[in-house]
Amino acid sequence: MGTRTRNTVLVAAATGALVVSGLPVAAQDKVQIDFWQRQFEDYQQEWFGAQVDAFNASQDAVEVIYTVVPGDAWDAKLVAAQAANVAPDVATTNYGAIKPGVVDGKFANLVDLMSAEAIADIEPWVKEFVTTADGGVYGYPMLVEPSTVLFYRTSLLEAAGLAVPTSWDDLLAAARALNNDEVYGMNIAQTAGDLGWSSWGLQQNAAGHWPIADDWSAGRATEQGFKDLAQFYSTLYQEQLMPQEPTYAYADCSFFGEGQVAMSACGSWALGQLSGNPDWAAVWDDTAIAAFPSIDGDQTRPTSTLGGWTLTVDSKSDQPQAAADFVSWLLAGDPAIMTSFFDAAGYSKYPVRTSVNEALAADPVASANTALSVVTSDILPYAKPEPAYPWDISFAMGTAIEKSMRGGNIDEALAEANATIETVIAQQSLAGTAP
Amino acid sequence: MTSPGISVDRVTRAPGVMAPVPSPITTSGRRRRSRGPDVPAHLRDHRTAYLMIAPMVVLLGIFVIWPLLYSFYLSTFEISFYQDSTFVGLQFYQYVLQSPRFWNSLWVGFKAALMIVPATLILSFLIASLIKTLGARLAGAMKTTVYIPTAISAVVASVVFVLMYQARGGLINGLLKPLGIGPFAFLSDVDLALPAIAVPAVWLALGIATLIMLAGLMDIPQSYYEAAELDGAGFFQRTWYVTLPLLRNVILFVFVTGCIAAIQLLDLPLVMTRGSGGPVDSTMTPNLYILSQFRDPRPFATSFSITAALLLFVILGTFTALIFRTVRSDKAVDG
Repeated sequence: MGTRTRNTVLVAAATGALVVSGLPVAAQDKVQIDFWQRQFEDYQQEWFGAQVDAFNASQDAVEVIYTVVPGDAWDAKLVAAQAANVAPDVATTNYGAIKPGVVDGKFANLVDLMSAEAIADIEPWVKEFVTTADGGVYGYPMLVEPSTVLFYRTSLLEAAGLAVPTSWDDLLAAARALNNDEVYGMNIAQTAGDLGWSSWGLQQNAAGHWPIADDWSAGRATEQGFKDLAQFYSTLYQEQLMPQEPTYAYADCSFFGEGQVAMSACGSWALGQLSGNPDWAAVWDDTAIAAFPSIDGDQTRPTSTLGGWTLTVDSKSDQPQAAADFVSWLLAGDPAIMTSFFDAAGYSKYPVRTSVNEALAADPVASANTALSVVTSDILPYAKPEPAYPWDISFAMGTAIEKSMRGGNIDEALAEANATIETVIAQQSLAGTAP
Repeated sequence: MTSPGISVDRVTRAPGVMAPVPSPITTSGRRRRSRGPDVPAHLRDHRTAYLMIAPMVVLLGIFVIWPLLYSFYLSTFEISFYQDSTFVGLQFYQYVLQSPRFWNSLWVGFKAALMIVPATLILSFLIASLIKTLGARLAGAMKTTVYIPTAISAVVASVVFVLMYQARGGLINGLLKPLGIGPFAFLSDVDLALPAIAVPAVWLALGIATLIMLAGLMDIPQSYYEAAELDGAGFFQRTWYVTLPLLRNVILFVFVTGCIAAIQLLDLPLVMTRGSGGPVDSTMTPNLYILSQFRDPRPFATSFSITAALLLFVILGTFTALIFRTVRSDKAVDG
């Protein structure tokens, strides 16, 4: 064996020994749990990453393996992991998926794994989103975010002598007044996939109920309120008061940030997106928000649903207690952890724990935030939880609205949606299963 | 020619004549060579062939046949990864076949093929014919130029074309504006969206199709053309009576693979419509439809996706077999 070869072998052996002796030391004594976070805004990944590091360093019992999964790969990756029995111990789960997931047996009951104080700290109006009839709590809430908020450019409305619209007629009139060759008057969702969920609040606003009977036994999509809603969207699109192409998804408020529209429907999360982009500083300085206009101007009717995220523990987790301990530390522990999150979010998302609300109220920066004030006083009290019925029903409504926007007959489009909803009810045996 | 392994005396024996008693000793006194246990002759003679195709058969079995059978098995259940799956027989086949969106997606796939494949065939044939007439250096440059789009990611191409198609600020509408035409929201118009997606599909497919066509053209002996010219055939007659018949198998290959690729189009509509398949499902190709079903994590959606994928496999397989049967490619003769 030559000198060079011998040295190479020695270096390799030494490196191997270091790897073997060094890497697993921390992990050998700790229980490892997998935590998958759906990818959100950049600051969220930073925040989650820092908190996981802090948790891992804070104790010697649990090691969290943190993975960020892109949103468009989430469902496929998660289903594949579930099929292979390697689903993550802890995962981000939206409110709408909790109750269907409980029916499928996907989530562990946190009442058995977390302290009574942690459960009691959840705001009562949010607790119903994650609680089943038997009192089980299957996800620990992290935040809520209204899905529909009106963003507008104050200077453009002032220049046109317009007040902030409160009814759909006002909104259409304002959009017509603000529309020109450079700037569209308004922006709102325009594809079936986006309309399926972003119109939930406005469906409730126009019709007062979902397009399915309360016991999920029949479709109600052909009622007048839904026709009015489809007409509203159709007018915005057909009169070219809004962008004619879905360059950006509804969840992305870039049309507004780039100054292409004077008003826009966006989720509250867009506050963080707009304020965080230095290229949009001029627009941000000129931005204000309000509750989305109501069909008849009554601003106490719901115009938004409360989307948001929880952390769930997988029912097949080998280490459910360790997983729940991490959730407890992150979401239900020191209120300062979650207030740091809402601070990082620019108060574009809203707390769901009593103790965190109290901490934010005592924070002079948070309490001086006008957007936070508008959302908490004008929107959250009237918002509705997301529906728990299958996505096919929401998509059928989104398709009907999109057909109306593209010039289709509204009655026919809603009749098709209703027929689809009836088919879904029959095929998925939904009648009588509403939670 | 006799069949292998059959002795002449057995073949030529007259009917009604008793077979001679087998004797271990031949007339020449030499003992017949023993062949050990009888191996069927066709197996013995094809052993090499079987050995050579064995790896492919094994791989196909592991990665195609078994997954296919297992998928069919799974499609008979409403699959749950947390509870006992429910056996439902062929119920999901009924659901898929009753779904208007499934049939619409197939129709969209076939419309895409109708737009993409003929355009690709004609353009690639014309470009290949042009290249054949060029000198070596210029032909090399042309081949490289034509092939470049094939090397470009479909995702990148999609993003570029989305920017070009924009109603405000898009290149195409910018070119049309001086002519007083438009603007068009290409990807938001139910009638224009699929043709708008077909254009980059043709652009991406053109490179490889052209090279295959060119290879086929170069394979046609020059003497055929010289003979046709002596007989007074013009350019169109030479093309019709010499080139196209002798390119039959090449055209068939490009046609079949092009049709299947067009019907299975996924990345272009996925990126260009942000996964919506819109407007109003007008670009919802079969694969995009299956993907959109799989996005719903409910057990129903999982089983539905698997079943739709299996039915798509059957439909595409049938379509391909019909094409081969119709054009009788097995009877085609190479030049």
